[in-house]
Amino acid sequence: MNRRMSDNLTLFGVRRMMEGVIPPTMCTASADRMPNVSYLSLAEYVDPLHIALSYQFFNRSRENVLATRRAALTLDDPYTGAGVVLQIEYLRTETEGPVFERLRAKLMGVASHAGMDQVFHLRGADIYRVVELRRVPGRLELPAAEPRVDLPTNCRLLSERMANCGEMADLLDTLLDGLGELLRIDNAMLWLFDSAQQALTLLASRGYEIGGTGAEISTGDGIVGTAVREGVPIRVGHMMNMARYARAARDRADALGFEPLHKSEIPLPGLKEPRSQLAVPLRARGRVLGALLVESKHDQHFGYDDEDALMLLCGQFAIAMSLMQPAEPELPREPPKPAEPAQPDSAGPAVQMRRYARDNSVFLDDTYLIRGVAGAILWKLVSEFLRCGRREFSNRELRLAPELRLPDVQDNLEVRLLLLQRRLAEQKASIQLEKAGRGRMRLNVTRPITLQSEN
Amino acid sequence: MPLTQDIIDLLASGVSHQVGGCTKEGRPSLCRGLAAQVEPDGRLVVILSAETGFEVIAAVRDTGRVALNLTLPENYKSISLLGRDAIVSHGGAPFRELVLDRYRKFRAQLDLHGIPPSYTEAWYLRPDEDLMAIRFTPFSARNQTPGPDAGSALALKTP
Repeated sequence: MNRRMSDNLTLFGVRRMMEGVIPPTMCTASADRMPNVSYLSLAEYVDPLHIALSYQFFNRSRENVLATRRAALTLDDPYTGAGVVLQIEYLRTETEGPVFERLRAKLMGVASHAGMDQVFHLRGADIYRVVELRRVPGRLELPAAEPRVDLPTNCRLLSERMANCGEMADLLDTLLDGLGELLRIDNAMLWLFDSAQQALTLLASRGYEIGGTGAEISTGDGIVGTAVREGVPIRVGHMMNMARYARAARDRADALGFEPLHKSEIPLPGLKEPRSQLAVPLRARGRVLGALLVESKHDQHFGYDDEDALMLLCGQFAIAMSLMQPAEPELPREPPKPAEPAQPDSAGPAVQMRRYARDNSVFLDDTYLIRGVAGAILWKLVSEFLRCGRREFSNRELRLAPELRLPDVQDNLEVRLLLLQRRLAEQKASIQLEKAGRGRMRLNVTRPITLQSEN
Repeated sequence: MPLTQDIIDLLASGVSHQVGGCTKEGRPSLCRGLAAQVEPDGRLVVILSAETGFEVIAAVRDTGRVALNLTLPENYKSISLLGRDAIVSHGGAPFRELVLDRYRKFRAQLDLHGIPPSYTEAWYLRPDEDLMAIRFTPFSARNQTPGPDAGSALALKTP
């Protein structure tokens, strides 16, 4: 290996210089040794030996790189004024995949910040091998800024709290509350991925005026959709107009053949003008189960270290979520005898529950409640209640119910039930769901109900 | 060729300076410059730190070829000037006022981006004996402002 690193520098150690505050500068040369200097929009850390640079225009720099495969690159520390010089060797250009998507997401943030959205378009992620790395000598370096929190220690505390959780609801609240208390991340949303619908459903949020439980977006929407689709974290440090990014991301999703966007019936929570966002996938057993989205009103609020920390915490959360199935009571040997017709717990005018079978979307009167697996579960529970007066159900019988067609995420029933329970509570609906012991739940109905099913 | 008035004005507007070179063996290098101005004979002089820019200085001495990028942070206006007759010499104290002028203007530009003066100082505060000068006659100017026109040729005055 002809790689040379001076001053005990590592690419990993200088990756914060790629945060985008001060743009990287590149020098290339033509075959006859005429140099050319230009600014780049972005550099991205790939691994200890490789970086990716944004390729947006075919210009002199690119012409030179394709001819010689060599370039020098300088990066400046956004906090201390220190700088490094890299000698890099061009390897290839990627036009899809996680590195490309990370660069694309960042570029859209940079572009909208600069008001140059129409000009900035990522043609590719140029992958370079770093053959030499040295510090720029002669700089009066400033002390680095104090970290926001003691990230390793506080992550460990949060991880320990999560490890003590025995139930899904507790796990979810522990993570979201801990982000604010221990990591000073005050705005967060946790999204669940429904692979059948190619959609994301909001399970819970913190730090917003509205909760938004049950709100949906398509897999192509924004950095959270991209993080799920690609299974990688996406971080944007400068952003002014998320809507523009969402549109661009959706165009990409449409180009990839995803389902058209399902119109969200539930208002989305979110900061009006986020300046930083970080989306981290919930990955377990090689699958993406959802994503955590955190955001801030401040530029560059989340760094590489935050990304690392949240990747670990979200990994732990995802594994716990996928394994968290409580011991469930055995099914009765005989089916329950038909009981008296159901009676609500209190009287009042009847409410109509309407279900659209094509996507299991459920409405109470004219109010949209939920769809997908959670919608199918609610329809089954209420139908059973009206047919024979049953109020208590076991998770196990739901898991085995053929009409629910639960998705194969170790079917993840617990989290779907939690979503349904919280959505009903947030709506203060006349139907509520509560736990009734380990692996069981109880339906509480406060008004008479009529059912209507449509295609 | 002499520079147009637009380019001369840009030199004094608070731009960042990036200086590039390449050795005969094809190794590119670059560093931050501190100041640039037009000399009475029409050539351009670029001031840079000997310590910071040792590799670029060596490359320019090696080939006489140099690239200077000037970028104005407030609007991303960016141009490159190329020379193939570059000569390196010691700059020293006579260029102190020029460096201070460019420093103040560049500091004001970065302040617009929320970058504090102490940060800009980390780049600019070099002793007189460290100031080196690269003089060259620009033979080519290129637009480097981000966009589809990046890399296109800009006019220089015909002598």
